[in-house]
Amino acid sequence: MSAMNSKERISKIFSKNDDIDRIACFSGMGNVTMEGLKKYGYAFYEIHLDAEKMANAACTSYELYNFECAVVPFDLGIEAEVLGAEMNFYTHKERESIIYPTVKKKAIQEPEDLKIPENVAERNRVPLVLKALEIMQERVGDFVPVATYILGPYTLAGQLMDLEKLLKMSFKNPDRINDLLSNLTNFLIELGTIYRDVGIDYLTVREMGAPTDVLSPRMFKNLIQPHLKRLFSKLKKLKLPIVLHICGNTNPIVELMWESSPTAISVDQKNEVDKTREKLGDDAIIFGNIDPYGVLVKGGIDDIRNAVKKAIEGGVDSVWPGCDIWPAVSKENMLAFVKAVEEFGKR
Amino acid sequence: MVSEEKRKDILERLRKGVVEFDEDMVREAAKEALEVGMDALDAIMNGLVAGMEEVGELFDKGEYFVPEVLMCADALYAGLDILRPHVKKEDIKVTGQVVIGVVEGDVHDIGKNLVKMMFEVAGFEVVDLGKDVPLEKFVEESLNTNADIVALSAMMTTTMLGIPKVIEMIRKKNPNVKIMVGGAPVSKDAAEKWGADAWAPDATNAVNEAINMIKGLKKEIMERKED
Repeated sequence: MSAMNSKERISKIFSKNDDIDRIACFSGMGNVTMEGLKKYGYAFYEIHLDAEKMANAACTSYELYNFECAVVPFDLGIEAEVLGAEMNFYTHKERESIIYPTVKKKAIQEPEDLKIPENVAERNRVPLVLKALEIMQERVGDFVPVATYILGPYTLAGQLMDLEKLLKMSFKNPDRINDLLSNLTNFLIELGTIYRDVGIDYLTVREMGAPTDVLSPRMFKNLIQPHLKRLFSKLKKLKLPIVLHICGNTNPIVELMWESSPTAISVDQKNEVDKTREKLGDDAIIFGNIDPYGVLVKGGIDDIRNAVKKAIEGGVDSVWPGCDIWPAVSKENMLAFVKAVEEFGKR
Repeated sequence: MVSEEKRKDILERLRKGVVEFDEDMVREAAKEALEVGMDALDAIMNGLVAGMEEVGELFDKGEYFVPEVLMCADALYAGLDILRPHVKKEDIKVTGQVVIGVVEGDVHDIGKNLVKMMFEVAGFEVVDLGKDVPLEKFVEESLNTNADIVALSAMMTTTMLGIPKVIEMIRKKNPNVKIMVGGAPVSKDAAEKWGADAWAPDATNAVNEAINMIKGLKKEIMERKED
């Protein structure tokens, strides 16, 4: 098998083509590291607010560790801002602090308050992300996949309205939440299409507001899965590989995740990947499931190698961290992580 | 004096109202408890809290999830609002002031709110700093309020590391205050290493931890009452 670049490799992985030299080590979520920011002298808070800095930062994990992707943005506020939420970017903090942007002011009080603006592509930070994606495609796009992510409708609802209210209303007035999710799904289809048009190689949908630590599998099936199904079916028509990522305890819902019909699913360290593979069969594309803090940050080289080995033996199609890579991870650990996949993931 | 039969009936409705998140049932039972001259603390501990203990078990078994627990908590509050003003001062043996909040960068406050409820049930005065609280603010408020306990939580690994910083700052300026920490990524080992006095395991388990602590407090209060 001749050597292939990351873009070719990952493209084949998404089409379940076994003609690959090895599985890949990449992600659909944030993977910037402080080591990477050091190269440019950026503060963490700067990279959310400037397209060039965002793009430069996103390419560093490939450049430093051969981590096989370039992904923007790094926070979970892009959609919420477009829909009226106010963010805190912590620009008043010390340059070395790592605090992710959070929603400072919710966009809506009641589900019916939602207003989706015209010209989404021109709103808030969407142009910034689009510009960053263009820069990344130009810089590394010939040999590394360039990607972005959107929130799942339920997770987005949690960014937009009071979370306690959302959770209780999901139980007491599911119809009102169902309508909200339906509107949000329309918006996410539009946003996903805008991202596709600028040129991305895959899109991750992060529906982390819905693991079974929080909601019952029944509620996932009744209230959340139908919207995911519609979202994926529309986005897949654009010939865009879609990864559904859900963190937390996904063991009871992996079938429902896969039945919602994304191109691939991604799970975190709480998932028993070997059992998931058994349940879903050989056709499913499964990414996972390295603990980004307990293993990648706190672990030693052996812990990392063991976790990678276990994920591969469990049957993942590529190794992904279970969430955003924590920026404070050491260079040694990142290098060991990628190397372990290159070694244990040979075909 | 209320008959044992009547007492049992009221306690059962308080318990059931919490478990079935029926706020009206809880309110009616709480009002009746006062009308018939029942001891308010008895109604809270053996009615409302007994219900919340059962909710914790249902949560453990995977029959209840977070939305259900939140609704049960609302039902508990509905009863607590009615009963608390009638608790005899001399019955409250555990009193104190708690400063509680979620550390900077973190806006997940469901676990914190449930822990806050636990403190309120136990008769503590709670100063709630909310979420995304600048680290220095915990220190300032612990000094401004003469707090006995500072309770901190974080729901993300990325924000968790604010906790040891706060502990260090508090220890320097206010060495006598007790510090309780919790949140999904916070392990018992980490809590011990940072020098916290108490630990509540994770967001979902914070519910159980809160309930267990209520149990502990209840036991203590009831034992003292019997003395």
